[in-house]
Amino acid sequence: MSKTDTMSGVTSTRDEGGAVPPGITTFNTELLRIAGIAVALLAVTWVYSGDPFILNIMAQTFLFAAVSLSWNIIGGFGGQFSLGHGVFFAIGAYTTANLYINWQISPWLALIPAAILAALVAVAVSWPTFRLRGPFFSIATIALNEVAFVLANYFGSITGGPRGLTIPFKAGLENMIFTSRFHSVLLMLGFLVVCLIVCAWVFRSRLGYYLQALHLDEDAARATGIRVLQVKLVGMAISAALTGIGGALFAMYLRFIDPPTLLSLPDIGVKFALIALIGGVGTLYGPLAGALLIVPLESQLRAGLSASVPGANLIVLGAILILFALFMKKGIVGLVMQLWDRFGRKSQ
Amino acid sequence: MSSLLNIIVVGLLLGGIYGLVSMGLNLIFGVIRIVNFAQGELVMLGMYGAYVCYLFIGLDPYLSIFIVVPALFLFGVIMQRFILQPLQNEPMMQIFATFGLLLLLQNVVLAVTRGQGYTAPSKLSEFVISVGPLNISVVRLVALVAVTAAALFLSWFVKNTMAGKAIRAVTQDRRAARLMGINVELAFMLTFGAGAALAGLAGTLLAPIYTMSPQIGGNFIMAAFAVVVLGGLGSVWGAYIGGFIIGLIEAFAGYYLDPALKTAIWFLVFIGVLIVKPGGLFGIAGAEEVGLREQN
Amino acid sequence: MMISRRIFLGTVLAGTMLASAPSWAQETFKVGVINPFSGPTALYGDEVTRGYELAADAVNKEGGILGKQVELIRGNATAPQEGIAAVEQLAGRDNVDVFIGTYLSAVAQAASEAALNYNKLYWDTNALAANLTERGLPNFVRSGPFSQSFADRSAEFITELVAKELGKQPSELKVWIEHEESIYGTSIADRQKEALEKAGVQVVGVGAHNFKAIDLTDSILRARDAKPDVYLNTGYVPDGNLLLRTARDQGFKPAAMVFVGTGDTKETLEAMGEAGVEGLYVVSYPRPDISEEFGPGSSAYLEAYKAKYNAEPLAPQSMAAFVGFKMMAEAVNAAESAEPEAVRAALAEFDKPESSYETGFGVKYNENAQNTRAFPTVVQWQSGKPVTIYPVAAAGENKTVKAAQ
Repeated sequence: MSKTDTMSGVTSTRDEGGAVPPGITTFNTELLRIAGIAVALLAVTWVYSGDPFILNIMAQTFLFAAVSLSWNIIGGFGGQFSLGHGVFFAIGAYTTANLYINWQISPWLALIPAAILAALVAVAVSWPTFRLRGPFFSIATIALNEVAFVLANYFGSITGGPRGLTIPFKAGLENMIFTSRFHSVLLMLGFLVVCLIVCAWVFRSRLGYYLQALHLDEDAARATGIRVLQVKLVGMAISAALTGIGGALFAMYLRFIDPPTLLSLPDIGVKFALIALIGGVGTLYGPLAGALLIVPLESQLRAGLSASVPGANLIVLGAILILFALFMKKGIVGLVMQLWDRFGRKSQ
Repeated sequence: MSSLLNIIVVGLLLGGIYGLVSMGLNLIFGVIRIVNFAQGELVMLGMYGAYVCYLFIGLDPYLSIFIVVPALFLFGVIMQRFILQPLQNEPMMQIFATFGLLLLLQNVVLAVTRGQGYTAPSKLSEFVISVGPLNISVVRLVALVAVTAAALFLSWFVKNTMAGKAIRAVTQDRRAARLMGINVELAFMLTFGAGAALAGLAGTLLAPIYTMSPQIGGNFIMAAFAVVVLGGLGSVWGAYIGGFIIGLIEAFAGYYLDPALKTAIWFLVFIGVLIVKPGGLFGIAGAEEVGLREQN
Repeated sequence: MMISRRIFLGTVLAGTMLASAPSWAQETFKVGVINPFSGPTALYGDEVTRGYELAADAVNKEGGILGKQVELIRGNATAPQEGIAAVEQLAGRDNVDVFIGTYLSAVAQAASEAALNYNKLYWDTNALAANLTERGLPNFVRSGPFSQSFADRSAEFITELVAKELGKQPSELKVWIEHEESIYGTSIADRQKEALEKAGVQVVGVGAHNFKAIDLTDSILRARDAKPDVYLNTGYVPDGNLLLRTARDQGFKPAAMVFVGTGDTKETLEAMGEAGVEGLYVVSYPRPDISEEFGPGSSAYLEAYKAKYNAEPLAPQSMAAFVGFKMMAEAVNAAESAEPEAVRAALAEFDKPESSYETGFGVKYNENAQNTRAFPTVVQWQSGKPVTIYPVAAAGENKTVKAAQ
């Protein structure tokens, strides 16, 4: 793995637009890296396997990393800044919970209809909304999220309405319910690895290049013969399917879901995008970096700062986000790249 | 028949409220192209500003306008200068920063107030004009009059003053405007300040209507985005009329269908209109095409 | 992969013991408090926790719990996933002995299950959702009133007292049920409809609204069109105030207005003014102004609150939390252990009539560990003061119902 390889793994953002990257990283190289990341994360999990407090944070970190990676396929690579991924997340959660509660279908099997349904809904609602660009698209996706919230609350026969759905505790691998947080973390880590592989594959495939092309300049992409709408829809479908699976895992982890938990904008829909932004939007590993930073930070602030002043944890978080935006404009991955440019290259 | 008339009046008054909270957002979103998530929090600050004026100097919320509006103008200028301007070429990071600001402002107010629901009472808040079957709350009528005045003033301002022309130029093409000698940064700072001041105006005028909470801005922000986009990016009259459209849909859906479904319905109408007319009802054709693309 | 929960618990406990061995040398009895301390309900989370703090002071004066002084540790949770995190933090890190909470039912739901993983008692004083006790969780106890108590008390109040005030038979009474659309308002409203219809009252309509709504004129107009005698609303403060304002603007004056859950605080008084709230009934947690015969010690509680926080209690939730905490201390002391099985077994011993506690609650737990002698009371706004009027015993002397507007 040469140093130039490391570079190009993350540089195909708009800055270098037309420039030919110094070396092409292949899907296989990415697989090696993913394997390395997986081993490293597994090692960390192992170290903390006796501390459920940390394990719970890790489970949520890996889950949000995975969903944020999924978001990044269409939101980052494709530049379609969706803030409505909570809808697909909720579809996955409700589908799995319903199949499990009412028909005793194993959540493992239920992942398939959850993913398909999320993808179908995503294509159906994105077909028209993809006519919109930039912030207009984002706002339309927020609107979709709000509509979904009202409907989930109103049509209680599927969602349990405001009462939500409670999944009874029946531990067992086949039920995807674990008595040990450690096993849950392994599940989330597994899902994270799947998402990384899918993202790497998309990133290094024709689809990924098309997505990045239309992100850079939609009109130019169309002019070169890319079927823009079709590419966007495929990207969205993959992204939503993985997000739906994420929602399913979330539901089985919490064993209680209701509309505010699944469709809260700041806690779910916006968070996926924020995590990607923190890490480096449109880069392959950015969302992972972002989740590793923000989810534990948020949890620690909540655990450590809420005792005396109400909202103190969110005051600090807000301030950190602002400072972060100001001083790490390209996200964590962008900063790493900058440092690499400044110091790493000279030593080459 | 009388209930139909009543619902129309209710919808128009509500539209006034929506228009009012949208004016500032429209300016910021239309000119600087920032998706300012914290706009609702600026309205919230305006409301608490009115409360502070009432608490410490016993001012009626309508009089506190003269303190709150300039204060928020200043706050907006500072916010633009120190947080958003450094991120001018990073539209996504701007969204991110405004989200951080949202958390910060909400929770600072929460920490100070413990989250208690305050009201800034006005002498006007108990007055109701009754015309036949219609009951028109005076405080809501004032909001309607104020948004009309603000829209008139803004459209006159951007058409007829030098500063207004500069703002329009910047909106259309930043680079060309800069080449024409317009100080783009200054224009942005003033625009953002004006947008924040309008939010402050909305806050003070709404203070007698609502019980304030640190999170109340979030109740307005989605509607405000919908109004701005529906009306057409950067179009003053678009936002004005967009407010009435959303207000009327909400009133009709709430009364004739079900209050629990009303927001879903106007969001669906909003998405529908957007799909048919991506530029909004009164937007300049193609304005939406600019999107988040970088402009220097 | 079918490890039994017991075996797992053993291993986890052993694991956590090893991880945090030094803290076993504790001198204090640690109580983990799960409540929202940020977000829109932070005020009530804090207010409830103040009740625990006052109770901890009182319990400590009398020797504490299991012979140890009580120490409270706060865990902030505004959503179910945060409830789990707070339990992990307090049980895994701080090694608390029991959990107490919760202002939010959804949080109680997830947090109590997480507490079961540690085999810790989850004592609830304020969450309202009915299914919390119905799910039969072995570590869950609720000492306070829940959605059904609120619904039944409001229905009973309407059929008994309001009907008499209006000079009507229950069957002649028309009621509009309004509620906010989250689990809190919905579950109370559903039960209200059932209870009122059973008593022969005509429910002329049910309306749901969002507590964040910017306009509620449509809700008020729908209710006005139905011409009810009684307007019964369950909601939060902002929407309740907006409904009252809109009703005034729209000239909607039902013979009686009954609010459930909120509306008895100065937040509503400030919004509406003295005349605006005059005559309004509010079904809520018992207030410190209830008579001493009904709630022995309630005035002492009020004094203690004022002394500690230098303010009047903002909402009556804190006194219910105070009493709930004392009940928990009694149960743990009676069981001589904080183990859920032992405490649940000890619950059977408790049989105190109503008016045994500051809130007028008694104590008698049913098979689901729900206290069946905890009820809300009803106040009426009279000349700018919320005055307890129902049940009559709670009202004490010189407190009579004033005719509504």
